[in-house]
Parts: sequence; C-alpha cells; structure tokens
Amino acid sequence: MEIKTSEYRIWVEDAAIHYEGTMRLSGTEAYQPIMELMHNVLNSEPEEITLDLVGLEFLNSSGINLLARFTIEVRKQKSIAILVKGSTRIPWQSKSLPNLRKLHPSLQLNFV
Amino acid sequence: MLQQIGNIGAIGTFGAGSLRLRLFDGPLGLAWKHCGITSDFLGDIYSARAHQGSVEANEIRHNVTYLVNEILENALKFKVSGDIVIDTLVEEDQFRLCIANVISEAGALRFQEVLSGLKGRDPSELLIERIERNAADPKETGSGLGLLTLMSDYGVQLGWDFRKPAEENGTVQLGTYAVLPLA
Repeated sequence: MEIKTSEYRIWVEDAAIHYEGTMRLSGTEAYQPIMELMHNVLNSEPEEITLDLVGLEFLNSSGINLLARFTIEVRKQKSIAILVKGSTRIPWQSKSLPNLRKLHPSLQLNFV
Repeated sequence: MLQQIGNIGAIGTFGAGSLRLRLFDGPLGLAWKHCGITSDFLGDIYSARAHQGSVEANEIRHNVTYLVNEILENALKFKVSGDIVIDTLVEEDQFRLCIANVISEAGALRFQEVLSGLKGRDPSELLIERIERNAADPKETGSGLGLLTLMSDYGVQLGWDFRKPAEENGTVQLGTYAVLPLA
C-alpha cells in the first residue's frame, strides 16, 4: 500500500506505516485516503503498529489531528500496541508528538 | 461590528523594518499551494539572521513557517473576496505577524463563537479536550485545533480584530495578529 505525490509519500511495510516529505492538505476530507490506509493496517489486527514519522518534515494541524484521531482508534483496541518514531531534528515533532501520549499513555514515543 | 479579541495593542504596529506581502486575488486566483509557498518563503527570510545550518536557524525557519501556514490556511479557507495582506516583523526576539482578509459577516459571527470558547482556558488542556471531542463526533471538522496547537505547542499569543466596512455589504475585515517567541 502506498500513497505518493510530488510532496509526500506514505507506504506500509508489515504493520509499520512510513511517512516522508511535507503534508499540508486542506482538511479532514483531504486526509481521508491517508486515514483509510492507516485503518487498513489497524483492521489487520497486528500486535503492534508503528508510525514512522522520521522523514516527515512538515505536517499541518489538520494532519496532526489525523494522527490524534488514529491514536484514539488504536486506544480502543486493547490488544494492539502503538509505537511512534520521531526525529528531534524536526521541530513540529518534538513540540506536538508528546500530545499523543496524553491521549494514549501507553503509546511508545521514540525520538532519534 | 468592531470587536477586538486578545491583546492586539501589544502586537499591532508594523513600522520600520517590517515586511509586507500582498497575495493578489487576481486573474490567476489564490490556491491552497500559495499557503505553503508563502510560509516557506517567510521561514527562509527570517531564519537567514541565524547561523545557517544551526539548530537555531532550523527552529526559526520551521516555527515561522508553521505559524504563517496555519493562519494563512484559515485566511484562504474563509475569505470571501479580495487580497490577503501579510505584515511581518522581527523585534526583540519575537516574530510578529498580521494577516488581513475579508470574510462574511456570518463567518465572522461563527468564528467569534469559536474564539469565545477558547477564552480563559489553558490551551494545552483545551487542545486535548477538543481532540477527544472531534474524535467522538465524525461531523466535527477540527475547527480551532490549529489555533490551539499554535498557543499550546509554540507559545504563540494571538489576537483578532473584526471591522465592518463604512458601507455595510455583508462582509467583515478580519485581522489576525500573532506573536511567536524566537529565543
């Protein structure tokens, strides 16, 4: 599974979803195909889902809302763990990703 | 209608050393991608004062870009006609911004309701509360989350100025003011 444009690329390997580039889509509806890709991984009921954001240079607030909504969906599935990988080099990640742990305290957040 | 929300007095002067950009609503029109292009441009301009390649330059570029992009996305989403005017200034380790655009009177009233819901609350708590509420209701569009993210995660101070034109025509001139600490 892959979504690719000139500005960003999202792809799935097993239960890891990788993101790279710059995502500034215009709102919840525009992010819907990406949410569907993420739900497909959730629906396959893996033991752990990884969101690998290390290559995602920019994400607007609508995109951060997408990550937050997905975190809440995973929280409802008690048997599925979630690991979020971020980069200390990318300011939005160190500022906004800790909010995901407020939504789901057992979410594991690793910065490289 | 003349209403000011937030501490605009401390934000709203753009004198010597400020930079003004005007996005013309001309024959080519204004498109979503202009938000990204414009905010990247301003991020580059204002990070040039820091040592290139340093952590500080990276942080300034990103934070200025993020702030301008969020406010500009709102301006483009809700404007009814006319240009978008962007004033920027760096002073005393603060990046100051005003984005002015014309919105509908009904849109102004809806926006004022959103803003009154933000007043007097801790933005970090309110952000989490709103995310939970949005997730529980698929019809929610996440309105106000961008502003809360700026206040909570970037320490941005915001203010808004709503003015009706001298000859009423169902529109309101909106100025969105922001101060981002750079140090």
